[in-house]
Amino acid sequence: MTTYIIRRLLLMIPTLLGMTFMLFAVVRFAPGLTTGGGQFSAGIMQSRQAQKQEQQIMERRLHLVDKNGHPINLVMQYILWLKSTCEGHLGTSIVYQEPVLTLIEQRLPVTLTINAIAMAVIYLVSLPGGLITALNQGRLIDRGYGFFSLALYSLPVIWLGSTLLGFFANPQYFNWFPSAGLHSTNTGDMTYFRYIADYLYHIVLPIVCSVYGGFAFLSKQIRGSILENLQQDYVRTARAKGLPESTVLVRHVFRNSLLNLITLTGMSLPGLLGGSVIIEQIFSINGMGRLAYTSTLSRDLPVIQDLALVGSVLTLLSYLAVDICYHLADPRVIYD
Amino acid sequence: MTDLTLSPMDQPALSAPRPYWGWVAVRLFRPLLVRLCAAYLAVLVLIALLVPFIANGQPYTCIVPATAGHAAMREYPLFRDLSTVSWILLVVAAALGAQGVVISLSHRLPKVQRMMRRRVGAVAITGITIIVGSLIAALHHNRLDAVNYRSLARHGLITHAVFPPVPWGYAEMEPLSKGLINQYPSHRHWLGTDGDGRDELSRLLWGARIAMGVGFVSQIIALAIGIVVGALTGYFGGIFDIILMRLVEMVESIPTFFLILTFVAVYGRHIFDIMVIIGVTGWTGYARLLRAEFFRIRNLDYVLAAQGSGMPLWRVLFKHMLPNGVTPVLVSAGFGLAGAVTIEASLSYLGVGVQPPTASWGSMLNSAGNPATVFRWWQALGPGMLIFITVLAFNLFAESLRDAIDPTTMGRR
Repeated sequence: MTTYIIRRLLLMIPTLLGMTFMLFAVVRFAPGLTTGGGQFSAGIMQSRQAQKQEQQIMERRLHLVDKNGHPINLVMQYILWLKSTCEGHLGTSIVYQEPVLTLIEQRLPVTLTINAIAMAVIYLVSLPGGLITALNQGRLIDRGYGFFSLALYSLPVIWLGSTLLGFFANPQYFNWFPSAGLHSTNTGDMTYFRYIADYLYHIVLPIVCSVYGGFAFLSKQIRGSILENLQQDYVRTARAKGLPESTVLVRHVFRNSLLNLITLTGMSLPGLLGGSVIIEQIFSINGMGRLAYTSTLSRDLPVIQDLALVGSVLTLLSYLAVDICYHLADPRVIYD
Repeated sequence: MTDLTLSPMDQPALSAPRPYWGWVAVRLFRPLLVRLCAAYLAVLVLIALLVPFIANGQPYTCIVPATAGHAAMREYPLFRDLSTVSWILLVVAAALGAQGVVISLSHRLPKVQRMMRRRVGAVAITGITIIVGSLIAALHHNRLDAVNYRSLARHGLITHAVFPPVPWGYAEMEPLSKGLINQYPSHRHWLGTDGDGRDELSRLLWGARIAMGVGFVSQIIALAIGIVVGALTGYFGGIFDIILMRLVEMVESIPTFFLILTFVAVYGRHIFDIMVIIGVTGWTGYARLLRAEFFRIRNLDYVLAAQGSGMPLWRVLFKHMLPNGVTPVLVSAGFGLAGAVTIEASLSYLGVGVQPPTASWGSMLNSAGNPATVFRWWQALGPGMLIFITVLAFNLFAESLRDAIDPTTMGRR
């Protein structure tokens, strides 16, 4: 196992290098990059000198020139950028004029909480759903659930989100829910429980939008793995020794099927951190996804680059963690 | 496409054994729901190909009456101002139609049937399409025609005008002075108008072209990259595999929507850019699937025989191995199509997709108003339903295809 982990870690190095180079190149060759911040302080007339100064700072920041203003070649640029990134100096946002790390620190908890709640809801529905459909394989309830969850999966969130918001958070129709943000304005006067209740009240619609599409995939996977486990010899043994069917199902089949969930959960972790751009944009939630989106609109390339960087490193790490956890949970699984 | 239209249903019973794809087609099209999905998607593709003839402000033909010094003249405004892309798509539609006619008639003409079976006919028709399409594209000049033909017809300045069923262009605005913006559905505009006074129905139909175009082109790009990478890694293995799989991991590790947003932010928002971006970010799944299949296939006897008979590598890979390993990839491509339609709509909804005034279902949803203040649900209903049904149809079709090729369910039902 140790050899396997070491091997995996070694194989991650070229992937990381290639991935960072890709991100570096995408941003480096972006048209109009070196014109710097000038284009973003729109409306403010700048003197030629101020513009030039800004451009110089920009070029220095992107490692396009060295201290004396001489141009640096591409490979060295990449190495310098990688070095400063590895030292923990992520870029600085052009729009917010703040380090990207600070921005991420502000927004990560927001996204993480919402997605964690959404994930819990998805599991709460999908686990029983998968179990029930597997036990009624081929019957009406199985096919009905399959079709219904696939239909939900196909329902575009841009439509459902805007329609929910348009009907249920709109003085024009039903003004039941708040239309934006996560807190009321008077949070200062609230007791702790009121505060939590206020928060939950605000995230009802976003949560609805983030969960409904997740049922299909997860239930289908659970159903598949339960069906597969039902064919196994140990189930026949358990039944043969006279265990009640419920014990066979819950203690034996279900527990073994949960092993597959480790993989699924691990694979969805990066999405949890990344946040949903669309949902956060529709419901005006200042999370990671919205940060990525607003940076895209304002062409705030350092932010985009670093968000993608953080996201992909986390993805790679979580894939590795999945394999290790799988081995820990089921020692029969040995990687070579 | 030819394989599906050569459905074995109309073959006489107890003839030669059905080919594999014949079995798959029979099993696939048995449920009514799948047939409905296929019909819906076929109609959508037809609309996408032929939309200038369905929703357009220009008449197919009209007669300019004689005036002093001029004889009466027959004009063809719609055909005169068809864009290059529309011409090419029209020729494609004609070629597909011709192919369908030839195939459906071919059982009376054994010679043609043999040609079609050897793909000579299909290749010839495709070739003619490409040649005619590029000829027209080369000879064609785009021009802007801002003439309001409906008003001309009403005032008798043109006569015998034959308008398309939806007589509005996708970018044609009602004059502001008439106050015909954000209209409810009416006799004049069957699905109402949007905030710029443009006909909703016309824009919905034109949006089908964007959705289908982005879906199919992006997935063809993704399939091309994925199949080549997957085939090479699966066939050669070893160091080749290690290097190319790092590439796969690299692309995979970056969250997809982030990656697309990054590319869109950096490189343009033209519709073709979006097709390419969705394509080059979405091929990794196909590569992985095909790689696994090729690992399985490459040691089978027939592959060894093919290699041993001295065939060139590409022939072994793509002629002999690919047909046996491509089915899971095709299933996945069905889901990929649904995904691409969703991604395009989402990008356009967020305002980083296609540029106005191009009609996209996503941007139409966006222009249905700010949901928190003014929400015009009847404007959101059309595009929303169309995205939903299209994505659902692709997903259902892909899932049924997966069930149809699944060997464990072969004997059942």
